[in-house]
Amino acid sequence: MSSGDSNPAATPTPCVDIQGDGRWMSLHNHFVSNSKDKEPDVLFVGDSLVQLLHQFEVWRELFSPLHALNFGVGGDETQHVLWRLSNGELAHISPKVVVLWVGTHNHGHTAEQICGGIMAIVQLIKDKLPKAYTLVLGVLPRGKMPNPLRERNAQVNKLVKDAVSSLPHASLLNVDPGFVHSDGSISHQDLYDFLHLTPQGYQAVCQPLHAHLKGLLEKQAEN
Amino acid sequence: MSGDEINPAAVAQAVEDVQGDDRWMSQHTRFVQECKDAEPEVLFIGDSMVQLMQQYEIWRELFSPLHALNFGIGGDTTCNVLWRLQNGELDNIRPMVTVVWVGTNNHEHSAEQVAGGILAIAQLLTSRLPKTKVVVLGLLARGDGPNPLREKNAAVNGFLRSWLPRLGQAQFLDVGAGFVHSDGTISTRDMFDFLHLTAAGYRAIAKPLSDLLLQILDETPEEKRASLV
Repeated sequence: MSSGDSNPAATPTPCVDIQGDGRWMSLHNHFVSNSKDKEPDVLFVGDSLVQLLHQFEVWRELFSPLHALNFGVGGDETQHVLWRLSNGELAHISPKVVVLWVGTHNHGHTAEQICGGIMAIVQLIKDKLPKAYTLVLGVLPRGKMPNPLRERNAQVNKLVKDAVSSLPHASLLNVDPGFVHSDGSISHQDLYDFLHLTPQGYQAVCQPLHAHLKGLLEKQAEN
Repeated sequence: MSGDEINPAAVAQAVEDVQGDDRWMSQHTRFVQECKDAEPEVLFIGDSMVQLMQQYEIWRELFSPLHALNFGIGGDTTCNVLWRLQNGELDNIRPMVTVVWVGTNNHEHSAEQVAGGILAIAQLLTSRLPKTKVVVLGLLARGDGPNPLREKNAAVNGFLRSWLPRLGQAQFLDVGAGFVHSDGTISTRDMFDFLHLTAAGYRAIAKPLSDLLLQILDETPEEKRASLV
């Protein structure tokens, strides 16, 4: 992927406040100041899938014990996460593992552009935290029935998987436990609005994620 | 408000699928189907403030036992809720109470227009379900510190306080007390993104709401309940 200028998904861009309450910037500032007295071993960063995870019991069960911080912002696209990480959210912490989950909200971008955005974030993390491992989570399928966004997300995952295959400090983990049934449908019991996870959906995603994370942390400890 | 002008916030409108996965229509279709199978005593309708509540324990604790249905869709405006109610989400059900919580996403409309849109929803409900009580929840404050949307939402609530009592079956419930601290800030412990409620935030609003619902349900005698079916 060439330089950020030619790919909007890989060009750090803050969210412009069009609604009128400045919430995006407030959250960013909150994350920056919140990180000043924390020493997380794991940082989760991304969009609403990350943000909502923090609200449910599963976070306290599985990820608080791993000393994890959550910098998820609803609606964020790759270029927004790139901006946040370039502007202070990594300045005061040295997590051993960064879990990155973003891309599904990049509407108007191609799968290649979204992959480029994700890889730009992976590179940025490497630059700022040379010892950290980046675990990219695969973008989940969405919509009740088959649709172009499912194809786009699957293509993003394939491209990212290829791109990280040669990197020692990053990998892609597919966290879809099989949400799409044999008739092509997704259940609202797993994705309550066919995009966001229910607590049940999070359990199915997070159990294997947690096991994988523990393995990574143990390996980091050995190094 | 002039009777000659059409209030855009009171015009029914479906959400167009611009993203490409048709999720809004899928959710609406699921709710219409639920109306065929369920016999709710309480119906919740509105935006993400309604929708997200069902994902927390508090729903199962306080509202499932009341046989409540949740027809919230994230991002919805008064226009979208009006469309859904006119297009199947009230078919075959006779809830004793309907809880309406919508308006914070009406970014294109003035406070007066938003209140008018909410009133139109209450009017639609009382005309379709004459024996049903309508509880309209006040819009919550939002944003980290003072900002124009807080003023707007407060203004909406002000209009609703004076207009709703004119509809005999409808009442206004303000559940926003306590969220804004003395320094003007809202805590992420209550609203994780300065808009959407955490489990703790929902717990705070659920208590007064469930108390009111229980009161209304208790007031409805058995014979009257039977006739609602």
